[in-house]
Amino acid sequence: MIAYAMNLATLIAINAILAITLNFIMGYAGIFSLAHALFFGVGAYTAAWIAMHVSADFFLTVSGAALLASLLSLALALPALRVREVYFVAASLGLQVLGSTVFAEWKSVTGGIGGVIGIPPAELFGIPLSDPHAFLALALACLTFVIAVTYGLVRSSFGRSLTAIRDSESAAAAYGKNVALIKTLAVVVSSALCAVAGALYAFYLSFINVESFVLDTSILLMAMVIIGGTGTVLGPIIGTVLLLLLPAGLSYLSFLPHTEIGSIQQMIYGLAMVVLMIFRPGGLVGGRSLGERK
Amino acid sequence: MSAAVPVLLDIRGVSRRFGGLLAINEVTMALEAGVITTLVGPNGAGKTTLFNLITGYLAPDAGEVLWKGRSLRGMPHWAIARLGIARTFQDLRLFTHMSVEDNVLTVMERSSWLWQPGGRRAERAKRARAAAILEMTGLSDKARVRAIDLAYAERKFLSLARIMATDAELWLLDEPASGLDLPSYERFLELLRSKAREGITVCIIEHNFDIVQRISDRIVFLDQGRLIADGEPKAVLADPHLANLYFGEHAA
Repeated sequence: MIAYAMNLATLIAINAILAITLNFIMGYAGIFSLAHALFFGVGAYTAAWIAMHVSADFFLTVSGAALLASLLSLALALPALRVREVYFVAASLGLQVLGSTVFAEWKSVTGGIGGVIGIPPAELFGIPLSDPHAFLALALACLTFVIAVTYGLVRSSFGRSLTAIRDSESAAAAYGKNVALIKTLAVVVSSALCAVAGALYAFYLSFINVESFVLDTSILLMAMVIIGGTGTVLGPIIGTVLLLLLPAGLSYLSFLPHTEIGSIQQMIYGLAMVVLMIFRPGGLVGGRSLGERK
Repeated sequence: MSAAVPVLLDIRGVSRRFGGLLAINEVTMALEAGVITTLVGPNGAGKTTLFNLITGYLAPDAGEVLWKGRSLRGMPHWAIARLGIARTFQDLRLFTHMSVEDNVLTVMERSSWLWQPGGRRAERAKRARAAAILEMTGLSDKARVRAIDLAYAERKFLSLARIMATDAELWLLDEPASGLDLPSYERFLELLRSKAREGITVCIIEHNFDIVQRISDRIVFLDQGRLIADGEPKAVLADPHLANLYFGEHAA
């Protein structure tokens, strides 16, 4: 039971990092990316590769994963500078599909559909972290770090610049905001921090394959952000906890036939999403609508 | 117009076409330091387009704009803003989901990177200046309110507060007073005059005859994209042809 709860807590920490970093670009820069799982995957594969070929040192692997994800995120920044809103969603969808295909086909690095197996445990200062308690502590430390960085940025001048661009891009530029640079930085920061979750995930499972990094994951992450509250600090965390606890909670309801839990879960998700968007379009935490933008 | 007054912005033979419409047709004019120039003309005369061409939001098809003798050709919108050219919008374009204070703070923050130079001392100075600007525009007690939740006149003043925070030498104001109630309107004119006395160069698009008469040092008349008169208010306003063309229904 404890092991089960710890497993869930670790997965919640990892997913919360993903949701928070997605919210950073969705909620503050107005960049609705359906390619977030792609950078999660880049982080995970990069960390796995470094751990198996160079060193399993956590700081080294995380730095490598973040660096590569930042560089590749320029591929996301480019369409984000050209097009907005629904048009960008379509562009990011294309990028996600492209990325999933590369993950599935680039067998020498990603192991193709079969994935990468036998990733060694992460090492902190030369000590392998094989104990799940220690790993949970590491995941929570990373989550705290990501919250601190994104919260700090959102509250700073950079956050104001992002929000200004989201509210009125033309006015932001007319007041001296280098819109292209600011948006690119936001995407780079978001993707680099997202890769931290990828590294954690690879070390935690010691096995990764393409299924974790496909469009479904991107959509789930977007759902976590929207349900929790786009553009709020607590929203993505609450959204993550809810969406991960829901399947766990449902499996405890003994009157439900076990074979049908998957579809019941999907139906509850779907229904909850529709009802929530009707009554609280800003999400559970947001409350107020983000409409009336210009 | 004496030769001693330095030309801040020089518009030379600028044209801009939208499809079949020549929105700005070889306009040449200069904005002199410390002068309030009013841009008048019927709807569709090209006044806002001219602002868009000056600020680099649109590129001219022909001609060029010089800022202190330096051509602005090819410069991005934001870079031109940083030279000291600021504008307001007819539809305001406030940062609606930010607080009034943040609207003012963000235009003072020039670095696009993840932090601002200057540390805590610069931060304190910036907040003090924002507070002073909100005081002058009568928005002090609304500092924490989101721009979207302000009343109409307050939004107009926030638009003005934002441009005051820029340090710009040239203000391009697009119908800043339209729709203001009388006390707000008087307060607005007083504020504008005091900023002009401090040496800010102002170019203002205005339809209100009263404002045009009361604040203009110079009037430029645009019609169908062409500059058809440029001079002292008395001379331009006295021209029966122009008065008829534009002020006809207001002046009487």
